[in-house]
Amino acid sequence: MKVLIVVPAYNEALNIEKTIKDIKENSCYDYIIVNDCSTDNTEEICINNKYNYLSLPVNYGLSSAIQMGMKYAKKYNYDTVIQFDGDGQHSAKYLEDIVKKMENDNCDIVIGSRFVNKKKPKSIRMFGSNIIEFIIRLTTGKKIKDPTSGMRGYNKKAIDEFINNPSLTPEPDTLVYFYKKGLKIEEVQVEMKEREFGESYLNTLKSIEYMFNMVFSILFIRNFSRKRCK
Amino acid sequence: MTLTLRIILIVVSVLTFLLCIRRVKQAKLQIIDSVIWIIGSFVLILMSVFSNAVEWISVKLGFLAPVNFVFFTIIGFLLIETFITNIRISVLNEKIKNLNHYISLKEYK
Repeated sequence: MKVLIVVPAYNEALNIEKTIKDIKENSCYDYIIVNDCSTDNTEEICINNKYNYLSLPVNYGLSSAIQMGMKYAKKYNYDTVIQFDGDGQHSAKYLEDIVKKMENDNCDIVIGSRFVNKKKPKSIRMFGSNIIEFIIRLTTGKKIKDPTSGMRGYNKKAIDEFINNPSLTPEPDTLVYFYKKGLKIEEVQVEMKEREFGESYLNTLKSIEYMFNMVFSILFIRNFSRKRCK
Repeated sequence: MTLTLRIILIVVSVLTFLLCIRRVKQAKLQIIDSVIWIIGSFVLILMSVFSNAVEWISVKLGFLAPVNFVFFTIIGFLLIETFITNIRISVLNEKIKNLNHYISLKEYK
């Protein structure tokens, strides 16, 4: 199985070297950095270190960067894409678990989840995660313990879906869409670190907007995706 | 409808019409896009010239004042226009994104 690690990077100059070093040392898979038109010297670092990277001429956000990675995977015939954040929060040693789970259980999507064996801590962020978890359960009947996790593996079926449907984002509502399409989604336990450098994309206002968008999308849009016979 | 409102409507409509024609001539507005505004300004002129007809319709439809009917029509027209524009932006957004990806893959070494 050919596996590609997609690392979306927007202004991650402080984290990207560490992330790639981690991937190179702790896994044996190919990687691609998708530089989403960073304004800092992310691209310079990629050139100097001879990293394998794609550079987008216009900044278009995370979804676009992931989709770009999917298109690259399709062009170079990869079977699996694993989304891996460039901000140093994910650990490459869990990549193998995701790939193994995918092969052994014949899953279409595998989520690197923080809470398979562990309990969710109580915080505002996790409260949001709980709401999304509840709504996913309400609409699909399936239990995903860490729906907002950014570490996910997709197989060919999911990759094609991502390329052909521009409304799909690497967010929880897409999981509901995939459930409705009849894809198999599983979780494996991973650890995540706190962000060391740079700012998180989500501030308070953005978080509220994010929650609103997710709840709305899951309840009123993804919930009515029709199942395709395949 | 008061005379003042009728005059304002006519003046604005004529101005809209002229602006549309000018922009089309300057090639800053496509003819297809100008059609809706030209029709819109014609409808407004008709409404202000034949205000008796507007009054008759608004009474039949149960509006408290004919002017409300005029505003109602304008708001409806604007809402539809905004929606169409919104859809167009979404489509354009998608096209630019695909171009973005295409260029990126082309330049990949």
